[in-house]
Amino acid sequence: MPKIFMPLVINNPQPSQRIVIDPLTRIEGHLRLEAQVENGQVAEAWSAAMMFRGLEIILKGRDPRDAWVFTQRICGV
Amino acid sequence: MRTPFAEKLEQRGVSRRDFLKFCGLMAATLGLPAGSGRALAQSLEAAVRPPIVWLEFQDCTADSESFLREPTLINLLFDSLSLDYHETLMAPSGAQAEKSRLDTIRDYAGQYICVVEGSIPTADGGVYAMIGGRTALSIAQETCSNALATIAVGNCAWDGGIAAAAPNPTGAKGVGGALPGLSPLINLPGCPMNVVNLTATIVYFLANGQWPERDSLGRPRFAYGEEIHEECPRHHHYEAERFVLAWGDQGHRNGWCLFRMGCKGPRTRHNCWQVKWNGGTNWPIGAGHGCIGCAAPNFWDNLSPFYTALTDD
Ligand code: SF4
Repeated sequence: MPKIFMPLVINNPQPSQRIVIDPLTRIEGHLRLEAQVENGQVAEAWSAAMMFRGLEIILKGRDPRDAWVFTQRICGV
Repeated sequence: MRTPFAEKLEQRGVSRRDFLKFCGLMAATLGLPAGSGRALAQSLEAAVRPPIVWLEFQDCTADSESFLREPTLINLLFDSLSLDYHETLMAPSGAQAEKSRLDTIRDYAGQYICVVEGSIPTADGGVYAMIGGRTALSIAQETCSNALATIAVGNCAWDGGIAAAAPNPTGAKGVGGALPGLSPLINLPGCPMNVVNLTATIVYFLANGQWPERDSLGRPRFAYGEEIHEECPRHHHYEAERFVLAWGDQGHRNGWCLFRMGCKGPRTRHNCWQVKWNGGTNWPIGAGHGCIGCAAPNFWDNLSPFYTALTDD
């Protein structure tokens, strides 16, 4: 397990528990991770993007030559 | 004699010479009289260094990237300012990340600088940007209202930017729109903002104990006082009506005016012709593309289509 997650490890593991990491840092965007842990093993996991701007909606009806300028702003990294 | 500050800089590989060069650039950007660099260097060495909380909301991280593209400025900033919270850069995740932010707000109440990148969605209860289970709006309220000052970097944090372009599906607003009455609020529009202007704004504060003079839209006059068109190195071609008419034509090769190709320089106030990008390498018009007006109010709607010429200047 990468060191960065160490503080999130729960000291007294329960047979069944939910771990939530929100925000997940050092990425571009806002990510939330959830994991269902059964007897020390991840049984199921979910990720969710927590930010929405609606660029697909904003692009509709615009001059196609401008599309790159808009879509470039999806991610500036 | 070497001051502790100079020693710290040297440890980071920034020589006295680099530092003085930096102060010269800052003095020039701020429009201070020639020879002010040394005085600026002295006040910077003595200045108290506030922590920074850097909030990201509906953003693309390009303002952070702009910030990280300038190694010398970063060395100086990290030395003079501690970056306590920045989602893309900090080590802690999850509840530990939230704790860093809350600790700074509590331990440095009224003393930290809050930098905001990205717009704040207000539609549908603010669900379009959630961090640690909280809306961007409530995080902004809590963090900005306790800050020494808030600096909105990039167009999104200024007027809602791209997310606020029609039909603004998420009710995106800039910091000023989402938190009316917030003061002091310094707006540094641009898509992205130029790190030289962010640095100069903070340097001005560290040296003078007050924020640079701003216009009615909250933008520092030193960076947004002049129209690009008036200062443009191609302006004499504009005056002589020597226009680029197609990409790659002889006029384009000759470096003529880009007005007919849709340049929005006549509607945009920004000092990018002066400070440029990527360590002063170049800027869009210098590279042969028209200005898209990225530092102008609501440019995504007001100044698009970007390749259609303005009907008047
Ligand atoms: S229209 Fe654009 S390229 Fe032409 S002079 Fe003005 S700013 Fe420069």
